[in-house]
Amino acid sequence: MTDFTSRQLVDLFRLIALRLSEARRELGALDGAIGDADHGNAMAEGFAAVVRATSADDTRPPSEMLAVAGRSFLSAVGATTGPLYASALLAAAQGLEGKPALSDIDVAGLVPAFAAGIAQRGKARPGDKTMMDAWAPAARAVTEAAKAGLSPVDQLHRAEGAATQGRDDTRAMIAAVGRAARLGARGLGHVDPGAASAVIIIAALQEWLRLQHPPAGQDGHA
Amino acid sequence: MTLRPGNKLAGDDEALIPLRFGDDPLLWASWLYYEEGLTQGAIAEQMGVSRPSVNAYLADARSRGIVSIEIAPERFRTLTIASALRDHFSLQDCLVIPTDGGERSLITRLGDAGAKVLARNLRSGDTLAVTWGRTVLSLADQIVLPGLKDVRVVQATGGTTAKIPWTPEACASHLAKALNARAIPISAPAIVSSAEVREMLMKEAVLAEQLGILSEADRIVLGISSLRPESTIHSSGFLDGAMQHAHYQDAVGSLVGRFISARGAPVIGPMHDRTIGLDLDQLRRIPQRIAIAGGMDKVAAILAALRGGFVSVLVTDIATGRGILNAEGYREPPRRPATTPPPALRVRSHVKKLINAPRDAVDEALQGAILAHEQLIAPVAGSTRAIRAINTPQSGKVAVVIGGGAGHEPAFWGYVGAGLADAAVVGNTFASPPPDPIIAATRAVQGAAGVLYIYGNFSGDVMNFDMAAEIMEAEGVRVRSVITTDDIASSPRETRSARRGVAGTIFTFKIAGAAAARMLPLETCEALARHANARTYTMGLALEPCSLPETRQPSFELGPDDMEIGVGVHGEPGVERRNMETADTCADLLLDRILEELPATEGEEVALLVNSLGSIPNSELFIVLRRVRQRLKARGIRVHHSLVGTYYTSLDMVGISLTVFHLDAELKGLLDAPCAAAALVVRA
Repeated sequence: MTDFTSRQLVDLFRLIALRLSEARRELGALDGAIGDADHGNAMAEGFAAVVRATSADDTRPPSEMLAVAGRSFLSAVGATTGPLYASALLAAAQGLEGKPALSDIDVAGLVPAFAAGIAQRGKARPGDKTMMDAWAPAARAVTEAAKAGLSPVDQLHRAEGAATQGRDDTRAMIAAVGRAARLGARGLGHVDPGAASAVIIIAALQEWLRLQHPPAGQDGHA
Repeated sequence: MTLRPGNKLAGDDEALIPLRFGDDPLLWASWLYYEEGLTQGAIAEQMGVSRPSVNAYLADARSRGIVSIEIAPERFRTLTIASALRDHFSLQDCLVIPTDGGERSLITRLGDAGAKVLARNLRSGDTLAVTWGRTVLSLADQIVLPGLKDVRVVQATGGTTAKIPWTPEACASHLAKALNARAIPISAPAIVSSAEVREMLMKEAVLAEQLGILSEADRIVLGISSLRPESTIHSSGFLDGAMQHAHYQDAVGSLVGRFISARGAPVIGPMHDRTIGLDLDQLRRIPQRIAIAGGMDKVAAILAALRGGFVSVLVTDIATGRGILNAEGYREPPRRPATTPPPALRVRSHVKKLINAPRDAVDEALQGAILAHEQLIAPVAGSTRAIRAINTPQSGKVAVVIGGGAGHEPAFWGYVGAGLADAAVVGNTFASPPPDPIIAATRAVQGAAGVLYIYGNFSGDVMNFDMAAEIMEAEGVRVRSVITTDDIASSPRETRSARRGVAGTIFTFKIAGAAAARMLPLETCEALARHANARTYTMGLALEPCSLPETRQPSFELGPDDMEIGVGVHGEPGVERRNMETADTCADLLLDRILEELPATEGEEVALLVNSLGSIPNSELFIVLRRVRQRLKARGIRVHHSLVGTYYTSLDMVGISLTVFHLDAELKGLLDAPCAAAALVVRA
């Protein structure tokens, strides 16, 4: 069991920001097909702001770091994405209150915590063609994999697979909430950009956790 | 197709030309295009050149005679004669049909052609005048044009009792029936017994009203009569011998029962003051004059009508058309020598923007806007995205706070000022502001009488304004929110509350601002704003997409000849994509959808907003406004006020939105109340 410092948590945010930034154009194009093409920038700028705010003081405990992250994401982004990810980060902060450091189980546990926060604020249901269609199956995958005794890295691996599947399933959905809902059936065939960015975040969590555990074996650490 | 190295043409990427085409890429491209039926894109790939190059090859191949395209000779003649007539007589349009047409008579075929021309031109709300004659009746009996609204068909002259089927009454009533239009007769004979009788009749209210409608005609369908013995004018019982009069020696033709000389000048004789109906000056003032006439006996009369400028669209046949041109001494100008097309432009990879760093664009624009209007607005201390009116807070007055994403300039700061909003908050481009600046603005302008938030219905704005409202309520400030839903394209009528809030939102800003300025309580201001929103109907269309400063890419793809109907203010796809149309058709598309929902009845009043989504010039907005006003006039809806310009944009989108705001006495009073903001001023 490894414990991570708050400085390492900033590192994790930095990797998420990097991966989202790389995907700016791709996410914008997805959004342009059914929305207004701003999702890629909003996500990248939002996590860039999270990195700036959390790195300013990385001596705070993890739960405070996550709360700072939530507030800075909200202020930088606004829009729909802002309140949703702010709620995600604040929900995770609440779950970690009192802990001096993060374990790798906690890192995998960010997925169900984020999903719970987003669900509470967004009120979207499965099949509404939103980011929840990636976050909800990912959260279930982590919980089930943990029950089955899989390692946190493998839990995140399952989560990424489930989120990817969920993202691809949005292709066949008609949006029920959010801006794309106005499109009705014209949105068919397009992937929901919020689900696509969720996959990128979950993949970054997995990638980061793997990097903390040099390849002793395929299934991560001991 | 095999590609081998060596023996290349200029350029490294070009493929080797197959031997049978020699060294001629033009011949190769032509073969692939015309014989093998490949698309230009596929040819470009096969030849290893760009698509514009293929296009240039094909144009070159034609101009050099490698390819000759042959149009069936008879069809070709109709085209050349039509364009010669159009150019020589400066017509809006001309349609020439073959003279010989098998079993169908020339009159039947001219009527058919005329029906097609009219169907292309007639629009909802038009007043259409119609004369009489065989060809005109044939047109009326063949036209198929369902679906137009508020069309009036008015007789161009009084009637006759002649025993002919093609009387003015018959022509007008057949046409009105075919168009599902209102028929307006002229309740008097075309020719009366004396000038005195005419004077008396013209004083009759019924006739005066009918002639008044005739004077409003947007178009006329008219025949042209020769003065030969077998012509319509003789058989219609109009003349009863008067033609023998010396005054008419110069006349060669007749239009609307009036006479013209070979040069097209009116011939005024004793019948002039006995004729009831359109005169020749009035005829010339009708914007579109569609004449349908053919037959060699009519050449002189048609030529006279063309010379006199009485015709703007001509429908005739080849023999007649050629006869007219010959009589005019027209000779075809020499063809221009073939020119090589200009080199194709390089394809652009991004949209040009006059910005510094994209991430600074919103803040820098806001700073400039505040400086430009520093006598009206100022930044809220401690926030870069909140703007307040300079005379705030006002104690005891409800504060109106508006906002939304950036990119809609002059929304939202343009609606901050006395008699309008007290503060505006903007987010990133096309993204709702977060709660912080909304809270900062609310604290800065609230005057202890409550705060009214007004913003368009987007999920992000709802979330962020709601979060701000919760926090303000916790601080003891009463907050109400009105979410605008005027975009009728965004959701069906049954789910109006799911609609987006777009340009029509400015009417709700105005009403709420005026109500607050009257020191009305929060609940009343809120109710009035809701009332205004419920009576606002907006629909937009885009000709070109917008592009965000961050991406510098078009936010959606729109084909070269396409437009998007019902487009959102962030470039969200609309309800329908279709081929580009004229301004009037576009105006009709938007207005027809609005009229389906607008409950306004005849005599009620509306305010209009014809809004540029960013890059439509004002002149085009005025063309649209003019059409909308014509249509509303035809429906009897009065326009109290017309706003035309750039009021609520979508960055650089080339497009418009049309808003109809259905007024009542209370809303009218609030709309007319004085206000002073950067984008809207109403003087006391």
